[in-house]
Amino acid sequence: MLGQLFVRECRQTARSLIFWLIVLILIFDFTTQLGEMEIGEEPQPGQESYGYRQSKDPDIIMRSTLGQLTEEYVRENYTTYPIGFYKSVTLNEKDDARIGEILEETAGIAGRESAKQIIEEWYAARNEPGLAGELLKIEPADGLTYEQFTDLMDEADKILGGGSNYGKEYREKNAQVPKTYEEAVKEYDALLEKDRLTGGYARLFCDYMVIFLGILPVFLAVTRGLRDRRSMMQELIYTRKCSSLTVIVSRYLAMIVMLTLPVLILSLNPLLKCMSYAGKAGIAADMLAFVKYTFGWLLPTIMVVSALGMLLTELTDTAAAVLVQGAWWFIAVFSGADSLRGGMYGWSLTPRHNTELNWQGFHDGFAQLAANRLLYTAAALLLVVLTVFIYSQKRKGRLHIRGKILADRKNKS
Amino acid sequence: MSTTIEIRNLNQYYGKKQALRDINLTIENGMFGLLGRNGAGKTTLMKVIATLLPRSEGEVTVCGRSTLRAQEVRRIVGYLPQDFSMYPNMTVYEAMDYLGVLSGLSKAKRRQRIPRLLERVNLQDDRRKKVKALSGGMKRRLGIAQAILHNPKVLIVDEPTAGLDPEERVRFRNLLCEIAEDRIVILSTHIVGDIEATCEDIAVLDEGNVIYQGTVSDLIAMAEGKVYSAEISKRELELLKKDYLVTSMLTLGNNVMARFLAEERPFASAKLCEAGVEDAYMYLMHAERGEYGC
Repeated sequence: MLGQLFVRECRQTARSLIFWLIVLILIFDFTTQLGEMEIGEEPQPGQESYGYRQSKDPDIIMRSTLGQLTEEYVRENYTTYPIGFYKSVTLNEKDDARIGEILEETAGIAGRESAKQIIEEWYAARNEPGLAGELLKIEPADGLTYEQFTDLMDEADKILGGGSNYGKEYREKNAQVPKTYEEAVKEYDALLEKDRLTGGYARLFCDYMVIFLGILPVFLAVTRGLRDRRSMMQELIYTRKCSSLTVIVSRYLAMIVMLTLPVLILSLNPLLKCMSYAGKAGIAADMLAFVKYTFGWLLPTIMVVSALGMLLTELTDTAAAVLVQGAWWFIAVFSGADSLRGGMYGWSLTPRHNTELNWQGFHDGFAQLAANRLLYTAAALLLVVLTVFIYSQKRKGRLHIRGKILADRKNKS
Repeated sequence: MSTTIEIRNLNQYYGKKQALRDINLTIENGMFGLLGRNGAGKTTLMKVIATLLPRSEGEVTVCGRSTLRAQEVRRIVGYLPQDFSMYPNMTVYEAMDYLGVLSGLSKAKRRQRIPRLLERVNLQDDRRKKVKALSGGMKRRLGIAQAILHNPKVLIVDEPTAGLDPEERVRFRNLLCEIAEDRIVILSTHIVGDIEATCEDIAVLDEGNVIYQGTVSDLIAMAEGKVYSAEISKRELELLKKDYLVTSMLTLGNNVMARFLAEERPFASAKLCEAGVEDAYMYLMHAERGEYGC
């Protein structure tokens, strides 16, 4: 019965407008982000730039962070990300004065005028060849230890309400240094040897896809959940012999398969590009890399978003799941914006890795990523079990929350 | 194996509101009518039998199976709710097939039964039509076909003729009678004509109470000798309405031919008439409340 229902659910999904809208959005996402994807060439000696990398050198961290502080102090406006959301902070006179003092203690820059002059000189210097793209770096004050620096930066971060460029996590990210030719070659070699080319591009593909897959499945789940009520078919289905487990699982599986299918089809494009390049360069590319990454990286997100959508729709008989998932997605996407280059996957619903390179980062963060994906898979299965329970209760005339809400409204009016 | 529906001391509550009060009914093979005004508790009773509502108190068994064992009862019950439809983008055949799968019918059985049922409800030529393109009557017939798709021992139909034109209504009643030859069919309605044309055994519900259970002929017998007609002026009609329950009126120029209920002949020109189900139903409902001349 499950198999037959699954096939019918897939057919229903294929006929739904919302499904095709989702497919169109995924195609749009793919073509705008990866449509023109070119396989990166091997770094050559004497290139103008090999990109940037993060440094752990305290001296570089101090110089970069002080550069940021000088810039923001002059601007009298600070960018922060408390709980992952963008916030523009303007300080009152007292706090502004304290930041000025911190800048003087750490960089020896006394007053806003001196800072302004440094910024103007730096802007002028940036126009000179070889300095384009360089970030402002300020030498620390004489005798300033790294501990003193971190204490004062922590204080600045506290004044700014947290999530500023001066907190522990962010100030390390400020320390971007240009990659050397050797570093670039090492990273490129990792792409060819460890990732067999396709692995790196599969991660990049997942990075773009996961953003939209963190929200789109909820629309499919909600429309499927509400279809029975809108079509006045609930009672016809409720009184059938079929178990609630079979009904819900067949719907869920159909949703997952129908959402994964277009992703797999879209992945054929970068796969073919990779295979073509690999063929010419004599690299033994992994043909199944995109499939593996789609299942490992994207499927847990599709699963948990769909499951949450199903659960909340069955529970409320409304589209409330869209709001809940929208909020979750917003937080996930914005809080993940500071770890775009991969390696720091945390517990994000939408783990990012916005480069085909950085195999080392992926390797180092793999255990965390695996734990993340397993957690969401387990959460998805738990949500499905809960949905089955709610559905079976509704079939017995219990848990009609929407009916109760409407009744309450009527009673009040 | 029992072939009856047994309802014992059934009480049903929606929060503090009591929808059914101490219902005791035995329903046997054939057509069984549930009559009552809107809000009398008919739909609640049917939903309890169809396992769509958990009973608050009492016992309900369907062919020997307690409604507490919902899945077992669902195997043998077909249900046609008052307000229903099907996925509008499905064809008639696909909708039947989908519900057939949910009923656990094998592919071979579905292939065998669906065309036969569509023929029976006269929808064989519309099997490729989308559900959204069906008329109200066609949808009702499709509703019946889906309800008996798994050959249930019990068929429950709630207000099935509401909104149908007279021709469709007659066709629908006949269909129900045919289906009831070998199973229990519970027909709930507030339209007395539907009961009159199809059922022998009935129960009348009023405010959650069964106020009558028996045969249609016994119900009619209750009103025998209490139905009168008289040709009166329109002014006299207003006076008549104050004292008696007028069940029908026919305008004849300046006069009106009124049919009404009274315990005894109210005036000399009033003629005693043969009672019909509608008269008996009205008599029962109003006698229960001690209204008018009843």
